[in-house]
Amino acid sequence: MKREILDEPAQREATRLCVQAALMLMQHGAESALVESVARRLGVALGVDSVEVAIMANAVTVTTLCGGHCVTTVRRNEDRGINVHIVTEVQRTMLDLEEGRIDRGSVAARLDQIRPERHPRWIVALAIGLSCACFAALSKGDLPTCVVVFVASTLAMAARQLVAPLHFNPLVTFFAAAFVATSVAGVAVLWDIGTTPRVAMASSVLLLVPGFPLINGVSDMVKGYINTGISRLVFALMLASATCGGILLAMTVWHTWGWS
Amino acid sequence: MSLLLDLLREMALAAVPAVGFALVFNVPTRMLGYCAAGGAVGRGLRMLLVDSHVGMPVEWATLVAAAVVSLIGVQLARRLRAHPKVFTVAAMIPMVPGVPFFTALLAIVEISRSGLTDALLETAITSGLRALFIIGALAIGLAIPGLLFYRRRPVV
Repeated sequence: MKREILDEPAQREATRLCVQAALMLMQHGAESALVESVARRLGVALGVDSVEVAIMANAVTVTTLCGGHCVTTVRRNEDRGINVHIVTEVQRTMLDLEEGRIDRGSVAARLDQIRPERHPRWIVALAIGLSCACFAALSKGDLPTCVVVFVASTLAMAARQLVAPLHFNPLVTFFAAAFVATSVAGVAVLWDIGTTPRVAMASSVLLLVPGFPLINGVSDMVKGYINTGISRLVFALMLASATCGGILLAMTVWHTWGWS
Repeated sequence: MSLLLDLLREMALAAVPAVGFALVFNVPTRMLGYCAAGGAVGRGLRMLLVDSHVGMPVEWATLVAAAVVSLIGVQLARRLRAHPKVFTVAAMIPMVPGVPFFTALLAIVEISRSGLTDALLETAITSGLRALFIIGALAIGLAIPGLLFYRRRPVV
């Protein structure tokens, strides 16, 4: 079957959809290889001959080629936090189109429909508290230590959720959350709760380890996307430094040098 | 027998942070079970490789554990019609070296605050390298199916 050649408005529309999909993936923490492959496959399924994608740290460029004509567009990328639900939905839209379950006309509506569904905040905060308590248990902390870590991490996560809608820079948020976590753990150490103070101090801030950007950064670089990999790793390092700042401030205020 | 009990304890304790962080990453509710299983299998396998008579260094054990979880994840991903990283990254979280990472950074701050001592320098370098190599092992382990088997075709 010979491919029909799209006319110019149709090619523009296809380009817009490709860049929209690529941008949504980038904003919500997908690795570069996935962004590129979804944009390419979506474009081809929409009827263009090929799609070229250039991914930068804070922008994405998409060019579609169709019958000797090319259309290029750039979108600015701002980080919206990791949300793999959106990544999954964008990818399923692409797969549905490839498999012919939806037609080309309904792709735009499908993409616009995707909303960042979030789990209930109090469940997330309690689960994170429990997670850090389990980390403390894994590092051989005793039961009172685990309880302290649970309280400290839950409060730190609640603080993070509280300031998140105010659109602070994530560095500020991480600094504040680290201060809360270390303050609670540090005061508990001062009151002699638990026999493993170092575990309490260390485990209570583990909710702030930027695990996703670290893994994504190395993974990008392994797959040849050195630029985006470096920017992800540097940002993860900045977040970790902000966390260290919060830890240090709390240790200075409460005079508990639990890490050394 | 005590090794088996330790293993079960380790796996149960690792499953909780995998799910906890999966909630932060907004993993769809249906996939949370896979995150828990992945976290338990990864950390359990790493413990077996390090603590049993195999005696593997923790970095290499992490690489093997991440690769195994990723290979299982690829099979599941085709069934779930979602990229494997959607649930395998959350499963790696229990193995992320958070404590060495922060210890290294705090040791560096301490060096600038109170002067260079051999002990602080040693802490900064050994913890930093440990964190660096384990994170590298996690990312490369997750990429193993793509590097070895899915070279020129997408997983999903």
